[in-house]
Formats: sequence, structure tokens, C-alpha cells
Amino acid sequence: MLKVENLTMVYPDGTVALRDVSFEVNEGEFLGIIGLSGSGKSTLLRCINRLLEPTEGRILWNGEDITHLDQSDLRPVRREMGMIFQNFNLVRRSSVMVNVLAGRLGYTPPSWSLINRFSAEDRQKAVQALTRVGIPDKAQNRADELSGGQQQRVGIARALMQEPKMILADEPVASLDPVLAHSILGHLEDLNQQDGITVLCSLHFLDLVQRYSTRVIGLRAGQVVFEGGKEDIRKISDERFKQIYGEEAQRLETD
Amino acid sequence: MMEPQASTKQPSSPLHAFLSFLVPGLGQLVAGRRSRGTTILLSVLILGALSVWTIAQRARFPDYGASLLIFLKIFGQTLLLLIFLMALRRLMARYIFRDAVAEAFSGYGLAVVYLILVVMLTSNIVTLAGTSLDIREVHGLTGVLAAAILSGLWLWQASDAGRVASLPEKSPDPSMTLAIILICLLIFALGYNITNVDLGKAISEIDDFSRLLPDILWPWEQAFEYDQQVVEATQRVQAPCPPGDVGPAPNEPHSTDPWLSATPTCGDLGEREIVGGFIPGTEMTLTGGNFPPGQVVEILWRNPIGNPFTPRGVGETEILVDQNGEFTSTLAIPDVVISESTAQGAQIHTIVARQSSEEVFTGNLSEEMILALQLMLETIMIGLMATFFGIVLAFPVAFLAARNIMAPIVSTLRRITGNIVGLAAGIWLAAFVTRQVSIMLGGLEAAPILIFVVLLVTVFGLGSLGFQLGGTLFARILRALSPGLQKAFITGLLAAMAAVPGYFIGLAFSRGIRSIVLGAEAAAADEMLYAYLGAGLFALLAAVYSLRRSGDEYISIGMIIYGTVRTLMNIVRSIEPIIWGIVAVIWVGLGPFAGTFALTIHTVAALGKLYSEAIESIDPGPLEALQSTGANRLQTVVYAVIPQILPPFISFTIYRWDINVRMSTILGLVGGGGIGFILIQWIRLYQWESVGIAVWLITITVATLDYVSSNIRERFV
Repeated sequence: MLKVENLTMVYPDGTVALRDVSFEVNEGEFLGIIGLSGSGKSTLLRCINRLLEPTEGRILWNGEDITHLDQSDLRPVRREMGMIFQNFNLVRRSSVMVNVLAGRLGYTPPSWSLINRFSAEDRQKAVQALTRVGIPDKAQNRADELSGGQQQRVGIARALMQEPKMILADEPVASLDPVLAHSILGHLEDLNQQDGITVLCSLHFLDLVQRYSTRVIGLRAGQVVFEGGKEDIRKISDERFKQIYGEEAQRLETD
Repeated sequence: MMEPQASTKQPSSPLHAFLSFLVPGLGQLVAGRRSRGTTILLSVLILGALSVWTIAQRARFPDYGASLLIFLKIFGQTLLLLIFLMALRRLMARYIFRDAVAEAFSGYGLAVVYLILVVMLTSNIVTLAGTSLDIREVHGLTGVLAAAILSGLWLWQASDAGRVASLPEKSPDPSMTLAIILICLLIFALGYNITNVDLGKAISEIDDFSRLLPDILWPWEQAFEYDQQVVEATQRVQAPCPPGDVGPAPNEPHSTDPWLSATPTCGDLGEREIVGGFIPGTEMTLTGGNFPPGQVVEILWRNPIGNPFTPRGVGETEILVDQNGEFTSTLAIPDVVISESTAQGAQIHTIVARQSSEEVFTGNLSEEMILALQLMLETIMIGLMATFFGIVLAFPVAFLAARNIMAPIVSTLRRITGNIVGLAAGIWLAAFVTRQVSIMLGGLEAAPILIFVVLLVTVFGLGSLGFQLGGTLFARILRALSPGLQKAFITGLLAAMAAVPGYFIGLAFSRGIRSIVLGAEAAAADEMLYAYLGAGLFALLAAVYSLRRSGDEYISIGMIIYGTVRTLMNIVRSIEPIIWGIVAVIWVGLGPFAGTFALTIHTVAALGKLYSEAIESIDPGPLEALQSTGANRLQTVVYAVIPQILPPFISFTIYRWDINVRMSTILGLVGGGGIGFILIQWIRLYQWESVGIAVWLITITVATLDYVSSNIRERFV
């Protein structure tokens, strides 16, 4: 479904964030991405939907090369990829409803957006999405009145509005406490299993990775250093995982 | 050798101190303290120049050479005095007081003693030094003081050079407290002089002001109309009276109306001698009747050109009317100046007997009050309209001046060229269409608003269409050409496009700066040369820029636009609205539109800056989130940027509205309409009660606005 080939990303200041990254994602997978902060997880996810322009390499989406699409051709591709963020990235002063409806913007004619117009159908969808994540009563609240966990649910509802084939989740639970983390990841798992939405999710708690992922890739200094299926994760002992993490951490320190 | 000093004195380098004594800051520079040395050199130079200038300005006829000599004389004398004092201190420390007292006497103590001595001694020294005039009288004490303080600074920096030279390298610079105090003192002294501070005047001439104060503080009598019944009767008389003339006939008593009669009606004018005082003219008997009894009749004299005045020293001018409504009195002809140009034929004067009733309050507003109210409304409207236009124009400008919005906008040179050509073509087409429409409608005067709207719509529509089409088409067409041809094409087009603004900038240079320097006519003679020169220069720059880049290269056009818009805004903003008011009055003529125009210009720049800063400080997260949903740039702005910037926008807008109304009260001073327009006229006519009304209205409006705007802003922030 998604194929990343030899992706390299160099920031204008010369930082090499990704170095020759290649991997494939199959339909219906829950792919966990692990790595220390600064290892390139966020950059990778943002390159996939072209929020960042990769320097080299190709991104194939259902066989189509989307690496050099211009803005107008990118639109239909982007709306098939929902994205949720570590800091939720809601418009804090807008209502929950408007935040969720914003997920439909990829389908709405731009000129209509000038007058704040969404179809009744879209509004219906938004209520359904909010019901699905369990906060239908918060629709008229301002986004910044919600707790962190609730805000992330709004983020998921917004992504749902895109009717996505894939969800990119950039550290979705890093700003939440562990109990809420399970709740949010539970929603993602639900989408993965019930709706067959492919999920790419960067995480840094090993137990969460083990609990939810069907496959894992590990990134270190912009390179893929580990790749394994669901069985591999189960087999890997905590110790082995810690070894990978620990060693990298030490090597980073001595660099 | 003497025994070494017991106090822990820092070692000092005499060489560096000497260098700095010769040229201030040199010692520090040589010692490697570059910024300290430069600062000192610049401070001493600037302050020295300012002091000389101040001394020169104090003299009735500025003579900078003489002032410099005077300055140097005082400077040298106080420098010597200071050196003497320091030597004295050192000697005393060594032989008399030893350490404890010497320490107490050092540093700031010495500085204070020095300043006191300088103020006491310099004046004497200066007069002793043989200047032909007493310097204090001609130049004030400020010059003396300035030179004296500067000499202290001079010595301080010399000793400072010695001190810093002996410090280890790379150690932080020692504090400059003493120098900063001296500099502040000096600047204060100069400022006191330059701004002509005269505290004595503020107290001794307070009467001039306090006489007006009641009128301005309580002008409300002037705000209403009062009715007054006036009963008047007149008698014509002739003066001077050449032999043979008899003058106008005396009035006969009337049966019902008030009447005034005089005998004789022909006489000689009174004369005012330079020595010997006043000689009254021919004495006349006045009689009158049918006036309301028991009240006072006022006698006025109206000269041949019709100006009335109360004749003084020639008889009673306030006469009580008796029971029958009659009065009798005598009046000598006063001295009336008759200008030669009107002194032809018989000079007919008029005596007026006038009886005025008490003033009756009518409850109507006076003309002045109505005018002030009307203009106050106009003032508020000027502020409102300027704010409105300002918002509309500043909103798009703010996005062009926001770094976070503009920075991601990059495009290829090929595409940009296409965009510019397309945009130019679109605007040209829009102008063409508008002209056709305007001809169809029967000229600009027939339907100005409609034509303006047509212009706006076509410029926006065709411009953006041309921009898009040009960009896409050009990119397609040019990509098909060979690289060499492509480059030549792009270069040619860019050069041609750049030549247009170059032409106008050249013209503006000639009409602006050159005509100021050379005079308008001399500059106008060859202004076209400069226009072509500007066009050529810009075309050349554009060509060089284009040749050094390939058509595929990405150019951060966003940042280029950002920089240009920012610079323009900063220039416009740094020019005060009242100066824009003068420009606008020349441009669109006197009246409220000029004020609105001027304020709008300034508001766009000021609000544009505030708005763009609000945009720059938004949270980029939602932008990113909306981009990832497939929203395009416009949708991202509507859903992610605008909700975030709305509160600061509202706050800034109200703040600006507040400023605009306050500004529009004074824009009238330069003819920009509003209450300032009439206020300055009333001030010039010394109509202090009317002035009071205007001041009151302005105060009430501004205070109300202040309260309202801060209230609204609190609600949004």
C-alpha cells in the first residue's frame, strides 16, 4: 500500500534527519515506529504526506509516485492519509465541531470555505465521528476547554472525517498519562481492526509497542536499524529491546 | 625612592593613559579594548561638537570658530584645574592624611568636589582670561559647564586607559559608572540649554494663561444663544465742518419710535496732540425720546466707514432715561482718524443711542456650539473611516509581511517570470476594461463609485487570473525551449519588467531630491534622463540576477516580497500622520477626506505591522494539521490562521481606532478636516470660550473612547 524507497531528508541547516530509509507498509497493518527523540520518526511521517519535502528517494502510494506531485495533485492523496499529532494541533479557539469538520476540507471546494460552509451531510458525519470517539456532548465546546485525552480524541475524529485509508500518528500519546494512552491507542486499534485502516504510529513506550503493533521498525539517527513482524515483537524480550535502545543511546552519547 | 603606597592601588600603564590623554579612546584601542575605545572616542567627539554648537547658538550671531576657541579655552583651564586637584589629592594622601582619608577623598568624592569647584571658579577664570565679553552673559553657564564636565571625562578616560591596559587579556571590561554619570550630566546640561528651559518664565508669566483659564475651563455660556432686545436711534453729523457747511438736518422728535437728535450737526474733530493731551472737538447737545424709561442708553460713535466705538473723554456715554423715556446730554466730537484715501467730500459720522435689554436665555445652542458638535462628529467619522479602510488594506498586507506565511513560498525563476508577465498583462487588461466601462458610463465624474468597484473587481480578477495563467503557461512554454533560449527569454522579460519601477524611481529621484538641491526648473530640464537611467539600472540588475540563476532554481520569492513590504511599511509608519496630512491636503485638497486619507496611509502601515506580528506568533501546529487533511493554502488561512489571530486583531484594531480618533482631532491643524480645523482658527481669533468648547468636546470624546476601547479589549484578550 505504501512503499518508501531510499528516502533521505536533509534540512536546510544541513542536519541529516533521514538516511536512505526503505520499508513497505501493507494494507491493514499497525506499524509501530520506535526510536529515540531526534531519530527521525516525526520527519519520516511528515515526509510521507509531504508536509516536509524529502531530499532524495521516492514515496509510492498505491503504486503512484507522490514524491513530486504539485499542491493540487497532492490534495486527493493527502485526504486519504489522516494524521494525528503529539500536541493534538487543534485550533484552540474554535469549537470542537469546527475542528472535526476541518477534516473535510480536503473534500470541500476552497471557495466555500471562505464563508464557513459545510454540508449537512458533513455535519452528520462529524457527530458520528465524535460519537465514535466517545465525546458527542462536547461538540459545541471550545477545543481548549477539553482535557488532553479529549483533545486527542477530537484529533482522531478529525482524521476520521477524511475517510482515510491510512492514519499517520506522530507520538499520539506522548503528552498523555499512561491510562489515557491505552484509551487513545485503543481507539486507533479499533479503527485498524474494525475499519481496516492502516496505522503508522510512532511510540516510545516498549510495552505499548508490544501491545498494539503488528509490525515494528526501529529508527536510529535517521536509519532503519530494526524491522520485525508481530511474532518478532512477541519473541523479543524486554531485555533485547532495551539492548537495542540502550546501545544506541550509549553510542549517541559517545558520538 | 619613597616608601611604596600602602593602599592596594591597581597597577596602571602610564603609556596607555598618555595615549588616551592625547586622543580619547586611543589607549583603550591600543590595549585591545576595541569597543570601549570606540565608544569613548565617539562620545567625546559627539559631546564636544554638541557643546561647541550649543555655545554658538547662545550667541546672537553664531560663530563656530569663536565658539570653538572659547570652548577650548574653558576646556583647557578646567583640565589644568583638574590635574592640579588630582596632584593635590595625591600629595595630601602621601604626606598629610595618609591612607584612610585619602581613600575617602578618592573616586566619586573627588568628582563632586571638582564639579563644585568648577562651577565656582570657571566663571572667574574665564573673565580673567581676557575674553572681551563676559562669557556667562553671552553664552550662558551651560557652555562653561559642558566644557568643564568634558574635561573631567577626558581625564577619566585617560586614567581608564592606564587601568584597562594593566588588566589581564579577555577579562571583562570594568564598569564605566563615573563616565556614564558625567555623560548624563553633560547631556542634561546641553538639553537644558537647547530646549530653552526657563522655569522662571513658567511662574512669572502664569497670569497670561490664568486670564484665559476661566473661559477655557467653563465655556458653556458661549455654547447657548441668548436673546437681547435692542432699541436704537441714530443722528448723522458732519466733521470736519468747512465754513459754509451746515451738515445733515437734525432729527425731529418722533411720535412713537425712539429718536435721537443733535445740535449742531456740523463741527470740528477733536485732536490728540503729542504734547498737551487731547482737545475735544465741537460740543453738541444730544436729545432723545421714546426709549424704554428707567434704563441706560449707550452712546456710540460710528465713523465714516461704519466702524462703531465708544467715544471716551468727550461726554457721558451711558445716560439714564427719565420717566418719559427722554434724555438730554452733551457730547463733544471725538478724535476720529480719517484715512487719506477716504477723505473726500463731506465726512458723515453717525451718533448711535442704543438701549439693550438683559440677555435672555433661549435654550438654543449657539452657532459655535453647533459648529463644534458638527466637526466633532466629523472628527470621529474621520477616525472611523480611516480605521475601516486601514483594516481592509492592512489585512492582506499583514500576510505579505508575516515571515511564517511568506517563508515557505518558493517558486522557480521561470514560473515567477510568467507570474509577473501574466499579472502585468492582467492589470493592463483590467485598466483597459475599466476605461471602456468609464467611457460607456460617461466619464469618471458620472459614476465614480461604480467605476472604482469595476476597477477593483477587474484588477483583482484579471490580475490573479493572469498571475495563474502566466505562471503555468510560461512554465510549460519555456520548458520546451532550449536552455540558452530559455535563459535569454527570461532575462529579457525580467529586465523589461524591472525597468518599469526603475523608470518611476528615477523620475521620483529627479523630482524629489534633485529638485530640492537644484531647484525645480533645473531638475525638470533633464528629468527624463534620470528616468531612463533608473530604468536602465533596474533592468541591468534584474538581468544580472536572472543570468546568475537557472530557470529551474527555486527562489524564495516569499521572503523577497516579505522584505520589500516590511521596509515600505517601516518607512510609511515612521512618518507622522500630521505630515501625511500635509501631503494629503496637497494631493486631494482641504477637508475631511484629506484627513481620512492621511490617517488611512498611516493606519495601514501601523496595523499591518501589528497584524503581521500577530500572524507570526501563531501556533504552527493547526496549520500543519490542516495541511495534512488536504486543505489548500486559502483553507488553511481561513480555518487555522484566522481563528488564532482574531483576538489580537480585534484588540489592535480597537487600539488603532482609539489612536485614529485622537489623531483626527489635530489633523485639522493642517487642513485635514475635523474639529482641529476650527480649533486653530478660534485660537488665532482669541475666542477662548469657543476654544474651551472644542477642548471640552475633544476631552469628552477621547476619554469616552479610551474607556470603551479598553473595556472592549479586555473582553477579547
